[in-house]
Amino acid sequence: MSGFDNTDFFQSSYSVDDQNQGGYGYSDPNDPYSKQYEYSQPMGYSAPPGMMQPQQPYMGQIYQPTPAFTPVSPQSMYGSSFEDEPPLLEELGINFDHIWQKTLTVLHPLKAADGSIMNETDLAGPMVFCLAFGATLLLTGKIQFGYVYGISAIGCLGMYCLLNLMSMTGVSFGCVASVLGYCLLPMITLSSFGVLFSLQGMLGMILTATIIGWCSFSASKIFISALAMDGQQLLVAYPCALLYGVFALISVF
Amino acid sequence: MEYPVQSGFRQQPEVRMRGAPVDPGDPRLLFDDTSAGGIGHRQALLSDPVSNLAMVYGSSLASHGREMMDQNLDRFIPISKLKYYFAVDTVYVGKKLGLLVFPYMHDNWEVSYQQDTPVAPRFDINAPDLYIPVMGFITYILVAGLALGTQNRFSPEILGIQASSALVWLIIEVLAVLLSLYLVTVNTDLTTIDLVAFSGYKYVGMIVGVIAGLLFGRMGYHLSLLWCCVSIFVFTIRTLRLKILSEAAAEGRLVRGAKNQLRMYLTMAIAAAQPVFMYWLTFHLVR
Repeated sequence: MSGFDNTDFFQSSYSVDDQNQGGYGYSDPNDPYSKQYEYSQPMGYSAPPGMMQPQQPYMGQIYQPTPAFTPVSPQSMYGSSFEDEPPLLEELGINFDHIWQKTLTVLHPLKAADGSIMNETDLAGPMVFCLAFGATLLLTGKIQFGYVYGISAIGCLGMYCLLNLMSMTGVSFGCVASVLGYCLLPMITLSSFGVLFSLQGMLGMILTATIIGWCSFSASKIFISALAMDGQQLLVAYPCALLYGVFALISVF
Repeated sequence: MEYPVQSGFRQQPEVRMRGAPVDPGDPRLLFDDTSAGGIGHRQALLSDPVSNLAMVYGSSLASHGREMMDQNLDRFIPISKLKYYFAVDTVYVGKKLGLLVFPYMHDNWEVSYQQDTPVAPRFDINAPDLYIPVMGFITYILVAGLALGTQNRFSPEILGIQASSALVWLIIEVLAVLLSLYLVTVNTDLTTIDLVAFSGYKYVGMIVGVIAGLLFGRMGYHLSLLWCCVSIFVFTIRTLRLKILSEAAAEGRLVRGAKNQLRMYLTMAIAAAQPVFMYWLTFHLVR
């Protein structure tokens, strides 16, 4: 049995059916192997309480892996009953309440961020914001969806590499893309201003600089709190500012 | 598993097909976090053991392939060594930038060690890091695009051309330094990444020069570039002196001998190459 690296092919004596049999036997470590020869029922009700794990009868099923969890009847009800299906949005993973919470976090850059909000990576909100940004650009006559997507892809990749190298805990690509996408929201206000009046004057420059600072400050605040990096907020904010600066360049010129 | 049959679908999330969440009782986590690696999530779509077998085999194959890729990537790019160079904080970066522009007041240029391993850049200002060179490179490309844009010579291809030419010059410089270190047979603990870091510090001076050129015209460009060139020259000599020369010569005492003289020439040549590159890579950006 030592050659079996993949324990899923091994008839493990631990199956989900046995996990909920209560706590008996787990706290009693003495004589754990004295009852091995007692091949009792898998449910273990007739097994003496001193046994560690109820053994399943070895019936030559070695080539049939025990599934990690047996298909339980409620799961098979997914396909069968229409009323029991979860609503579409929940199944897609879009939760408007969380999206709204994250948007509020971005819009209040001075409020401290909660590190746990980025536990769920959802790309629905960022997708909406990217499309809204492209739409506002469209209103000024610039058809540049390709540039927006390309720059956001390259920027997300760069931030992903940098954050993985700089932080103690790693970060997943979805999380980086989600945060950067949410913090694109102030940039949408900039490009909608650009619809109304030209941004190339002094006022436009000041507004652009403010918005870039706002975006990068929010993004770095969320990254810092989610990854527990200390003393590095400005270091994270600078590459975010470069990325949002390129977006601003597209909006302004 | 027996689940109490409740009305409505609200109980269903606990039996999701994507596998058990980390903490089923966690109220903040409405959905499962499927972001960090999907190998552990198995779907018992069918109760047929053969397809289960296939699924388990497939997922084990996928995880095996992923491990192999991670191992091989680690052979080419040592991720853990790279992490050392990015262990910086804001105070370090601020002081280092100041040092790059004004290195004349700094006294102690030695890198401190902690039981044979160099201390992280966070705690020692003399240690090389890769954050400043990487950010400097990217900023240089963007500033070059900006400078060309103000002269109406901008197109997106230009950015790619600038980036690749700067990268190639960096690679050539690092290879040349490595070759000359090998020829002179210097026993030093300078690694390739250290050399990349030291060669990347000149981007800071280049950026300062180009921005001054944008704001104040050619005169501003020449003056600030001159200042930054001299600073980088002094910085490089003082940093590399401790690494390349022997200890006695590094302390300033006059040590005769062809070997030390050769090493001194090598240090000065490396330092003199920096201003040359700085001028070469920026003069076409400022008109």
